[in-house]
Amino acid sequence: MISISAVTKLASRNKKASVGLSILLVYVMIALFANLITDHKPSKRVARPHQEPSMEHVMGTTRMGRDVYTQFVHGTRTSLAVGFSAGFIIMALGTILGISAGYFGGKVDEVINFFTNIALVIPQLPLLLVLAAFIGQSSPTTIALIIGFTSWAWGARVTRAQTMALCKKEYIQSAELMGESKLRIIMIELMPNLASIIGANFIGSILYTVITQATIEFLGLGDPLSVSWGTMLYNAQTTSAMHVGAWWELAVPATAIAILGMALALMNFAIDEISNPKLRTFSGLRIFNKRIAILEYEKSLALQEARA
Amino acid sequence: MRFVTRRFFFYLVAFFAAATFNFILPRMMPGDPITAMFSSQGTPLPLESLEALKETFGFIDGPLHLQYFAYIKSVFTWDLGYSVQYYPQSVNDVLNRSILWTLFLVGVSSLISFSIGSIAGIYAAWNRGGVFDTLFSPLSLVMQSMPAVIISLLFLFTFGVALDWLPTGYAYNIDLDPGFTYAYLSSVFEHSLMPIITLVIVQVGGYLITIRNNMINLLGEDYIVMARAKGLSELRVMLNYGARNAILPSVTTFAMTIGVVLGGSLITEYVFNYPGLGNTLYQAIVNRDYPVIQGQLLMMTLAMLSMNFLADMAYVFLDPRLRNA
Repeated sequence: MISISAVTKLASRNKKASVGLSILLVYVMIALFANLITDHKPSKRVARPHQEPSMEHVMGTTRMGRDVYTQFVHGTRTSLAVGFSAGFIIMALGTILGISAGYFGGKVDEVINFFTNIALVIPQLPLLLVLAAFIGQSSPTTIALIIGFTSWAWGARVTRAQTMALCKKEYIQSAELMGESKLRIIMIELMPNLASIIGANFIGSILYTVITQATIEFLGLGDPLSVSWGTMLYNAQTTSAMHVGAWWELAVPATAIAILGMALALMNFAIDEISNPKLRTFSGLRIFNKRIAILEYEKSLALQEARA
Repeated sequence: MRFVTRRFFFYLVAFFAAATFNFILPRMMPGDPITAMFSSQGTPLPLESLEALKETFGFIDGPLHLQYFAYIKSVFTWDLGYSVQYYPQSVNDVLNRSILWTLFLVGVSSLISFSIGSIAGIYAAWNRGGVFDTLFSPLSLVMQSMPAVIISLLFLFTFGVALDWLPTGYAYNIDLDPGFTYAYLSSVFEHSLMPIITLVIVQVGGYLITIRNNMINLLGEDYIVMARAKGLSELRVMLNYGARNAILPSVTTFAMTIGVVLGGSLITEYVFNYPGLGNTLYQAIVNRDYPVIQGQLLMMTLAMLSMNFLADMAYVFLDPRLRNA
C-alpha cells in the first residue's frame, strides 16, 4: 500500500528519515542473512564462559559460553519478526476500525469508539504481563499475537479523528454525490490522505512491540529457549553478568534495542514533519530558498542570453 | 456538569468492562488456575482456603452467570481474597504495603517530567529552529523511544555497580526506623533517585514533543498576532496566549501516560528491587500468586481511570467552553 517509491521519496526529502531508514535496513539485512553471517547455532557452546570481546568472539561470550555476536544476529531476526508482525496487526486493526468508525459514523462509530476508549484506559504492560503469565513461557509468536491484539486502540483513535476531519472536505462529499461506491471512496480517496498516519502508526507499533517484547522476556515470562534481545537480557540478568563485570552481555542487546528505537523515532519525527510542514524547522526552508535563488539566477541567465 | 457526569459514567462502565475481562481471562486458560496452583506448588495455603479462594474469584460450582455475580460482588466490595505466597495475608494487605512507594515514584517523576517537558516544549516552539529546538526536540523523541528497562539497567550498572555511588535495592536503609528523621528521609531520597530519574527520562520527551507541536500549530493563529499587535510583552504572549491553549492536549497526555508510567515503574522497580506495586506484581507472577495478580490489575486499572477522570476535571477548569457543555 505504502509503495517503495513513496518510502524513497520520504527518505530523500528528509535527512532524519534517511538516517532512520538506513539503520532499519541494516537491521533487516542482519535479520534476513542471519545464517550467512554466523557460523553456528546461537545455542552452541563455543568457548569458555564470560570471555571478554576478542578477535575470535567480537562481542564476547555468555555465562554458558555462547557467542554473543551469534546470539545478537539471531536475536535480531526474532525481535524484528515479532516487531513487524505485531506492528502489522496493530496497524491493520487500527486502520480498519478507525476508518470504519470515522467514515460510517452513527452506530458503527459508537460501538467501535466505546471499545477503543475502554481499551485505552486499561493499563497495557501489566495486562500483557498477566496474559503472558497465564499462558506461561510465551513463545515469540504468542507474544506477537497478544501485543498485536491488545494495542490497536491508540492507532484506531487517531485514524478515526483524521478520517472524520477528511470526510468534511469537499472532495469526499463530491465523490459521494457522484455516487462512487463506499469501498472506492475509502480505498482511493481516503487511504492516500491517511498514509502518513497509518505509516506513523506502523512505525510506532514496531517500536512499541520490540520494547514490550524485550520487557516481557526480560522479566522471564517468555520462552527461555528462544533467542531474542529480550531473552539475551534475561539470561544476562539471571547469570548476574552485571555484578561479575561481564558488561558486554547486557550492553549488546541493550544497545541493539536503543539504536533501533532511535532509528524508528527519527522516522516518525520525519513523517510528522512531512505531513505537517508547520513543524519543520527552518533548515528545510533554507534549502527551498536556495533552490528558488538558483532558479531565479538561471532565469536571469536565460534572459540575458535571449537578449544577446 | 453534564460533561463531568457523562465522563464519570463512562469510567464506571470501563471499570466494569475491565473487571469482566479480569473474570474471563483465567477462564480462557486451560484448566482452573486455582486448582492448578494448589496442585503444582507446595503452597503454605491450607486446603480449606481452596474453596474460599475459588469463591473469591468466582470459581464456584454453578452456571457461569452465578460465578460472574459472585465475582463482581467481591470486586465491588474490594474483597480480593488471600495472597498465596504471603498467606494468611490478604491481597489488600500485600497491595497496601507497596502502593505508597509506587505512588511516590510515579507521582514525583510525572510532576517533574510534566514541568520540565512543558517548559522546554514551550521554549522550543517559541524559538523554533533555534539551537535548543534543533538539539532537544529530536533528542527528546529518541529519549522517549528508549525503553525503561534499558535506561534502568544502564543506571544500575553505572551508578550502582561500577561507580557504587547509589544504593541498588530497597526503598530505604533497612537498619533505619521509618519516621520523620533526617537520616530516614535522606535514605529514602537516595534510594529513589535512580528509579525517579529513569522514569523522568522515559516520560519527559513525550511532553516536550506534544506541547511543542501544539504550540507551533497555534502560533500562526490570529489571536496570537492580535496579542502581539496590542503590544503585549513577548513573555505574556508566549505564556498566556500560546502556552495556555497548547497545554490542553498535554493534560490528556498526562492521564494517558499514567498507564505507560505504571508499566515503566513496574520494570524500574524490578531492576532496582524497589518494594512497589511493580515488584509485587513480578513476585506474584513468578510465584503464580493469581489473587495478587488479579487484584493488582484491578488496582492499576482503577488508578488509570481515576487519573483520566481527574484530567477531565482539569480540562473543565482549563477550557471554559466545557463548563456549560
